[in-house]
Parts: sequence; C-alpha cells; structure tokens
Amino acid sequence: MLALKLKDIIFKNPIMVASGTFGYGNEASDVVDLSKFGGIITKSVTRYPREGNPPPRICEVSSGMLNSIGLANVGVEDYVQEKIPFLNKINSNVIINIAGTKVEDYIETLEILETASGNHVGYEINISCPNVKEGGLEFGVSSKLTKSLTKELRLRTKKLLIMKLSPNVTSISEIAQAAQEGGADAVSAINTLVGMAIDINSRKPKLSTNLGGLSGPCIKPVALANIFKLYKSLDIPIIGIGGISNDRDVLEFLLAGASLVQLGTINYKYPNLVASIPQAMEEYFNLNDINDINEIIGALRLDD
Amino acid sequence: MIFNEICEVIYNKEIAKNIFEAKLLSDKISKSTKPGQFVNILPSIEFGNVMRRPMSLSHQDSESINIIYKSIGDGTRTMKGWKKGEKIDIIGPLGNYWNINHNKELILLAGGVGIAPILNLYNKIKDNRKTNLFIGARDRNEHFLKHDENNDIYLSTDDGSYGIKGNLFNALQKVFSTKDLQDKVMYVCGPAIMMEVVSKFALKNNIECFLALETIMACGIGICQGCTLETNKNSNNKEHSYRSKYELVCMDGPIFNAKEIKTCLL
Repeated sequence: MLALKLKDIIFKNPIMVASGTFGYGNEASDVVDLSKFGGIITKSVTRYPREGNPPPRICEVSSGMLNSIGLANVGVEDYVQEKIPFLNKINSNVIINIAGTKVEDYIETLEILETASGNHVGYEINISCPNVKEGGLEFGVSSKLTKSLTKELRLRTKKLLIMKLSPNVTSISEIAQAAQEGGADAVSAINTLVGMAIDINSRKPKLSTNLGGLSGPCIKPVALANIFKLYKSLDIPIIGIGGISNDRDVLEFLLAGASLVQLGTINYKYPNLVASIPQAMEEYFNLNDINDINEIIGALRLDD
Repeated sequence: MIFNEICEVIYNKEIAKNIFEAKLLSDKISKSTKPGQFVNILPSIEFGNVMRRPMSLSHQDSESINIIYKSIGDGTRTMKGWKKGEKIDIIGPLGNYWNINHNKELILLAGGVGIAPILNLYNKIKDNRKTNLFIGARDRNEHFLKHDENNDIYLSTDDGSYGIKGNLFNALQKVFSTKDLQDKVMYVCGPAIMMEVVSKFALKNNIECFLALETIMACGIGICQGCTLETNKNSNNKEHSYRSKYELVCMDGPIFNAKEIKTCLL
C-alpha cells in the first residue's frame, strides 16, 4: 500500500535519501539495506571534478547543521566509470543528482549519463546549491533560467526529470511553475536554507565560506510550508525534503502534498532509519483505513 | 566491515576530575577493532543534536569496548549520565589504526582526553616493545595513572602538582634529548595545539611521528564530506574523498603521518 508511481516508474515506498547524505550508495552498504529505500538520490555530480570548499565545512546548530561542502565530486566521466557499476547493483530506484554552474555543463553531464549503461531511472537537477560561488543558485532564483534549463534537459532525456528547488527565493511557486512549463516530471523541495554560525571566542564564522546550508529538524516547518504552497500551484508531483526524522514527519509531508519524500541530515544520525519507517506508516494506514498512499497525498483538512 | 550495534553499558564511572570511563558490551565491534580506530556514538535515543559523537576506543576485548571521555559538551554531558544496563547505539569500528609496522622504540604522547587511542596502543604493545608513555594534564586531579619512571610512564601537570611540571612537550624534552628521539617513533593524540607543536618538532628533527586527529564529523563513514583535511599526499584517492587536495579524517584518518598533513589545527 506504500507503493506509488511517478510517471511510469514504480517506487516501492515514498522514502528516498536526499542527495549528498548517502554518497554514492556504497559507503554505508555495511550498515544499511539500500533495497529498503523507495529511491536513492546520489551525491551531486558535475561536468568536471570539484575539490570542494576548504575546511571547516560543517558545524552543528540547534536541531540542525550547516554545511558548505561545495559539491566536491569526481566529475561525470569518473562517475560513469567508477560509481555507475555499484549503483547498477542496488535494488532500488537510482536518481542521479546533477549540479552545474552553466547551461552547457548541465547538458553535457546529462548527455554523458544518458549514454552510460546505468540503470538509473531519472535525474534530479540541483539548481539551488547555496555553497557554490559561481552561481548554481542563479538558475534556482530565476523563473526564466529555470524554464529554459528544464526545456534543454527535457529535450535530451525520457527518464524522470526532477528540478530541485531552493527556499531562498521570493516565490518558490513561480520557480516551480517554470520547471513545470519546461517539462519537468516533478519538483523536489526544499534545498537547504542559507545560514550562519559564529565562534564567539575566535570571532570567526564556523564555516570557511562564512555562510552555509542549514538542514535538519529545525527546517521542517519551513519545508512543510513550501510543500503546502507548491501543492496549491502545481500539477506535477512534489518530492518533499527538509528535516524529516521519523514516520510522523513523512506523513505530515504527504498530507501537505508531497508524493515522495527524501531523508537527509537524519541519515548521519540513524543511517538505517528506513528500516523502520515503512512499517510504522503501514500501521498508521491500517488504523486510518487508508488502502492506497495516493489517498493521503495532499489530504490535508482545511477550514473553508 | 562496519557494524551498527546496540551496546549495553557495563559500567560508566568518573576516573579522574570530570574524566569518565565507560565499558560497553559489544559482540561485533569489539572483535574487529584495532588500536587507533574510533566509534560513532548516539549518546541517547532522545539526543536532540543531529550528529553522533565520534570517540576513540581505549580498549577492546572479545566481548566489550571501552571509551574514555571528558564531560564538556552536549554529547558527553548526556553520556556522563549513562547507567549500568542502558542500551547505546554505536557504529564502528571506523577509520584507520596505528601503524606499528617497525621495530623501533615507541614514544606515546597523550594530552587530555587524547589518552584513549594512546592507552589502547600502549596496552597492546608494552609487553613486546620498549614503550615510553607520556600523559599530560592541567593538574593532578585529571590524572588516573601513576607517574612511574622505572616503568617508562611519565605524567606531567601544567601546575606541577604531580609528576613532571610543564606541558607534555616540556616533559618529553626533559626525559629525552632530540638526538635520543631520532631513532624512535612518536604516536600522539591530544589538544590540536599540542599536536601541532609536537608535529612541527618531529618534522624539523626528522623524527617519525603519527598523529590521531580530532575534528567535527557528521557521518563518520565518508558520506558527508565534512571532516576534510588538507594533505601533502596528492593521493588522488577517489574512493572517499574524490580528489587529491583534501582527505577525510573519518576514512583516511583519524591517524596521519605528520609528514602528510599541513596542520593539526583543524
């Protein structure tokens, strides 16, 4: 009863892992049964390798963390050689997250992945990383750029195309509509919020880049509000992300309008949380006479 | 192989001023840990912070693991309250381990809570190899071992209230001349500033030196890419750190050769 379809792809349950919080899947395979996940979003890959930002890259804050990794990754060519073979063995839907700083980079990365012999079912396009100076965020804050990028990528793939949205914008609904008009199959939201922490003794920011991306349970209410807004303004499905820590949180996101969700920061604390969430959700479904997950998506009760 | 185990507390006691030792039952982590490795601990089920707490093991046998910690932050304050029988969620063993692939005399230097991985190595090797143990603390209340020069155990205190007066590096220099140290290998763990001083001294005098570093970690298993360290190795290790310039303390460390790293001040 937890299974659902996105386009023509079946997800065994709505629980996926957010990009960057599960690497390329192999790192945690000792302690986690990856086949339990409805889907795995891999760490962002870019056209060329990236060293990432200097340390310190992370710090802990109240009910959350800040990160500024800077999209450190091997680049798409090595990705195809070294990561795809392991990803192909995972018994779950693999979605490859692509990041970039210019249109050509996104296009070339996607084209290379399209010709690789990967079993991945789709792409999540990161147009909203707050930690890259050259302007990955520019796409995510502009409806025009979002629409044209989505169009370009749509022309080149029949696989799932998901645009990952930033909350650091004036109107997330406008950006989402642009993605929809460009031909996206779904949007995922939210990426991290811009945040900061300061060491009062050294008087220095706690991250080398001064500002970073805020994630964890502290952003859940912000994420839910964004899902709620998106659900009212979109026809395509929404993948909910932001501070989810347990089965009750997943249900909140579904009620607000998310079809699927991604677990992010919580994976660091409980790498195997997915082992218990689907069962707890089924208990809730049984208790509330829900036979199909689609009955609960967006089923929020609002006063007129 | 990494395990996620629920470990039962056997004891948890204060062994010196604000320094605690806990022993926990462990079936799997215990059997596969080598001295120098660490575990990532969830201090309690209700723990509100998003990160586990990485801790080096001070001891392991076939059925249990020991940690030594100072109660200073959110995690260790929670851990201080662990009762016998309490079940603790632990991931490990993680990281690399001390390299003792040589026949040289050992110099072990432990400052503050850096004692855990050093004691672990000491107890493994002391019966087979000439090993000198140095432990530094602020005052006598923070020590839980005996200063015993006849057995090559040297304790120091900043205020001179016990053992050798001065910091760990002062104590080392009082016992060994720089020339004496040149045919020995140093193993160091403690406050970053102490490790930086020892590391630079070792490099300058061509003394082989290994350091167990500590930094903030979110995952401990190479996923989050948060615990980076700049190295001189140009290793092009794509397995966990994706590049040449940075390595990960959690996977490529926590132990590094002083020659390989730019600084201990992470």
